[in-house]
Amino acid sequence: MSLAKLAEECADAIAQAASLDELAGVLAVIALDMGFRYFALTHHLDIPRAPRPAIRLHNYPAAWADYFDAQRLGPSDPVHRASHMTGVGFAWSRLPGLIQLTARDLDVLDRARRSGIGEGFTVPAHIPGEAAGSCSFAMKPGVPLRADRLHLPQLVGGLAFEAARRLMMLRPLPADRPNLTDRQRECLYWAARGKTDGEIAGIIGISHETVILHLKQARARYGVYKRTQLAVHALFDGALSFVDVLGR
Amino acid sequence: MLRSYHSASPAAVAAMRAMFAARKQVFVDLLGWDLPVLAGRYELDQFDTKDARYLILSETDGAHLASARLLPTTMPHLLDSHFRQLCDQAPPAGPGIFEITRFCLDRRLTAARRRDARDQLVRGLVDFALENGILTYTGVAEPAWLKQILAFGWACRTLGRVQAIDGMALAALSIDIGPDTPGRLDRAGVIGRPLCLRAEAA
Repeated sequence: MSLAKLAEECADAIAQAASLDELAGVLAVIALDMGFRYFALTHHLDIPRAPRPAIRLHNYPAAWADYFDAQRLGPSDPVHRASHMTGVGFAWSRLPGLIQLTARDLDVLDRARRSGIGEGFTVPAHIPGEAAGSCSFAMKPGVPLRADRLHLPQLVGGLAFEAARRLMMLRPLPADRPNLTDRQRECLYWAARGKTDGEIAGIIGISHETVILHLKQARARYGVYKRTQLAVHALFDGALSFVDVLGR
Repeated sequence: MLRSYHSASPAAVAAMRAMFAARKQVFVDLLGWDLPVLAGRYELDQFDTKDARYLILSETDGAHLASARLLPTTMPHLLDSHFRQLCDQAPPAGPGIFEITRFCLDRRLTAARRRDARDQLVRGLVDFALENGILTYTGVAEPAWLKQILAFGWACRTLGRVQAIDGMALAALSIDIGPDTPGRLDRAGVIGRPLCLRAEAA
């Protein structure tokens, strides 16, 4: 079967998952089909102690999950850390090229192997403002990862994490999110870059009072009272990006 | 309908998911086997790999009725990994030999439909073997189930005596499949009236 056809089938199966439990079942089946033994879709948090909502679905051996949690590896696991260094999936054999592996990292990887987890492939999932996450697929020890068969896991990992976010309702639906007018956004853009109302008025050629009004209405839409809060909320929901604020 | 699965189509994924859920209900909840459970709902173990084949009998709406897992004996499987001591000689293994495991009849089935599902799955296993060049099935069974299997009329024999392993009485068996096997099932009354369905080729 062609890769395109397979990809389409996997995407459909993932889209049809109506709950996180169902998604776990779908991923277990697709992982099998792609030749992997395990999958793990998780936020890089100390899950047992992290504030909700936090995502984690996996079928790793229970002993490994227990060790992972006891050691609070969520934020420090080498594979998780490495996935903060790239936007595309990577084979675990590439870890040394992504992060400096410490003695503890090597111990973690060795313990994973002894728990029955061999070579793997991890797809990073980063959404600004949300906890970093990833979706990994792993083999049993001794089974090689086929470098020419990683396109499908890359796609499935990305879609699966997105499906988990949808099912967890990590973000309000677009219709329920505050929406700024172009003018409000423009005023906020300059305000977030440190301009005063008077300076903003001069830059975009409207009156000082109108700038004040736009920003007041923008604050009202987000239900906040200070422009710093407004900037943070707008950064979180993507109305404003860090590049907007930090750019030269 | 009875199908063998090895695909990622949404229908195949749904059927496999339903099977893993039914396996959890039967082998973990009902029989109390100590097996890994995913998301509190699905039973999968280390033998569920890309190399395993599944025969799944489903309602037309995709609901699970019965299923079985077939493991190639050229790869690690239960008889050689866990139950070698049940065989007087080396467990049969080779390209034409598959091990049947997780023969699962859905818990929701009434006694009459259960029997039909069982018979259809048995016939499906025979058809699958004949279509795919499988000459022999092996397996492990408890005495009550073994008695049923021996009564199906096919060429079935035990590979050793019944032994207690981890508190369960178990025996290993092998079943030779040939062109005469469907007729033997007929004569033993393993007919499997259609539950709702037609058999489809893999």
